[in-house]
Amino acid sequence: MFRAPTLGAALRQQGISRREFLSFCGAMAAILSLPAGFAKVIAQALSETRLPTLVWLEFQDCAGNSESMLRSSHPDVANVVLELLSWEYHELIMAGAGQAAEELLERIVAEQEGRYLAVVEGSIPLADGGVYCTIAGRTAVDIARHVCSHAAATLAIGACAWDGGLVAADPNPTGAVGVQEAVPGIRVVNLGGCPHNPANTAALLVHYLTFGEMPALDEYNRPLFAYGRIIHDQCERRSHYDAGRYVETWGDEGARKGWCLYKMGCKGPQATFNCPTVRWNYQTSWPVKSGHNCLACASYRFWDTMSPFYRRLPQVAGFGVDTTAGEIGIALTAIVGAGTVAHAIASAVRHKIRPTETTAPGPTAVPPEPPHSPPKEDDHA
Amino acid sequence: MAETWTMTSPRPIPGTPGSDLVRAYIWELPVRITHWVIFFAVLVLSVTGYYIHRPYISFGADQEFTMATMRFIHVVTGFVFTLAFLVRMYWMFTGNYCARWRAFIPLRRYQWTGMGEMFKYYTFLRWYPAFRIGHNALAAVAYMVIFLVMLIEILTGLVMFERIVHSGFLEALVGWIPLVLNIQYLREIHFFIMFVFFIFIIHHVYSAALVSAEEKNGLVESIFTGYKFVPVWSLTGDPSCIPPAAPRQPPPAPVNVVEKPQAPE
Repeated sequence: MFRAPTLGAALRQQGISRREFLSFCGAMAAILSLPAGFAKVIAQALSETRLPTLVWLEFQDCAGNSESMLRSSHPDVANVVLELLSWEYHELIMAGAGQAAEELLERIVAEQEGRYLAVVEGSIPLADGGVYCTIAGRTAVDIARHVCSHAAATLAIGACAWDGGLVAADPNPTGAVGVQEAVPGIRVVNLGGCPHNPANTAALLVHYLTFGEMPALDEYNRPLFAYGRIIHDQCERRSHYDAGRYVETWGDEGARKGWCLYKMGCKGPQATFNCPTVRWNYQTSWPVKSGHNCLACASYRFWDTMSPFYRRLPQVAGFGVDTTAGEIGIALTAIVGAGTVAHAIASAVRHKIRPTETTAPGPTAVPPEPPHSPPKEDDHA
Repeated sequence: MAETWTMTSPRPIPGTPGSDLVRAYIWELPVRITHWVIFFAVLVLSVTGYYIHRPYISFGADQEFTMATMRFIHVVTGFVFTLAFLVRMYWMFTGNYCARWRAFIPLRRYQWTGMGEMFKYYTFLRWYPAFRIGHNALAAVAYMVIFLVMLIEILTGLVMFERIVHSGFLEALVGWIPLVLNIQYLREIHFFIMFVFFIFIIHHVYSAALVSAEEKNGLVESIFTGYKFVPVWSLTGDPSCIPPAAPRQPPPAPVNVVEKPQAPE
């Protein structure tokens, strides 16, 4: 097979200086929450690494994660990562097509079993035998099981590959699931988000190439360095939240002054992601900075669980779309209050009309025989 | 005449006619303290919690720190509430028989009949409420439900708190909950339970006042003092709180009852 030049030579060919490469390594160490000294370790490891093969599978997706990867920065995450790995199969960018491309994929799986990295983008349909997504006559689930189960590691990139994403949102007509559900028995690292943040994905790959293992993962198999903290605690608008300054309507004074978007339904307090620190588009901005509330796109099944996106809390099942939990609660409290008043009036009426029955215990009742008294009295007598 | 009588040391009073009201120590100090701590905590938690849900005071000034203050009070009060709940749970196993878990969980026949009687009373199918020394059977079940609701409130609150503090202990304790039910629904439940508390408080105060007026037993005052006024016949020391059969059926003719003790003399 094609023999790649060393990384340094490849980068120089791309016009990337050693200084820029080191700054990239520093950025990766920062994203991974490693001490600054690790930038050198990363640079050393990456320079010496043998280029592992990477195959990028696309199923039910919008190619948004690929686009995000290609438009990444730092200033050249894409370049470095593309050079770091032997990017052999990626429908969106590869030159080959048709039978040649599919044969290449087959050859990688056969020849490099247990050594290549598989990246999956998009959900995998399981309904009706998986017919809703087929590539070269094979179903997505068939390809995924074949390719991922022979890979050294599998990365599920984006919301769709993690939990089914938009495709799996209710009512999920294609029975779409994420990779970890479609290919049971393999270890998948999930990089949720719609799209994923390419800086995080690059950092994950750098970690893998440097240390030979995946970083610490959370309960959803997402790397903790990216998904360990809630957005709300890292948000630059947090001081407005604590102070009680909120955007009340879009375009009001608060919105112009950059106040907190909590009342507009911001899901920052729920979502865990490093969006506020790593940001997007050359670290320019992220949704909240640009004035829109967080949708928690990196949260599990966010289309279903985090909607309505412009409300604090989910809809209550069985009620209209405009009815909130608060309104239901206030209405119920009022009904119970009114019912109590009615019951009080009825009880007063009962008190008026009822007979002074002997069945009532209390001072009006005729004293019955105390159970313990007679024997005691007999003793005294 | 009215002698003090405690639940923990049953002491029948000789020679007292059965229907005389006596002062009986029903609610022990931990019961009363936790009752009022929980009440005031719910009050504070509702005010601050509703603000956190929907910030109803908006300040433009730079010096304010409203939400942070509300959250701080909410979290601290939440832990006070949790502590009171835990003390009350402990007292379920150490307190007198009105405070014990057996009074709340209907495992015995008299508890089910008592529920039926009180249900009939509340739905106007009965003239008078059924007598119990401690909680009436229906109220006891309501309290069991509200204790469960409190537990749900505490757990959902801890889930949200764990997300902020990243405590290993809390994660081990409640970390599994958001995997079962999404955090958004936990928030909604946590919020909605506030109204469950409101509804409970309305009903609880009303029914306490109603039964207090019916039995003239100082029920409302008893949660401050611990003492209720109960008829002597009920002071059998029977931990099941069963009143003797007599008051529930037409009692024997008064002449007999009065004359019977005199007969031996």
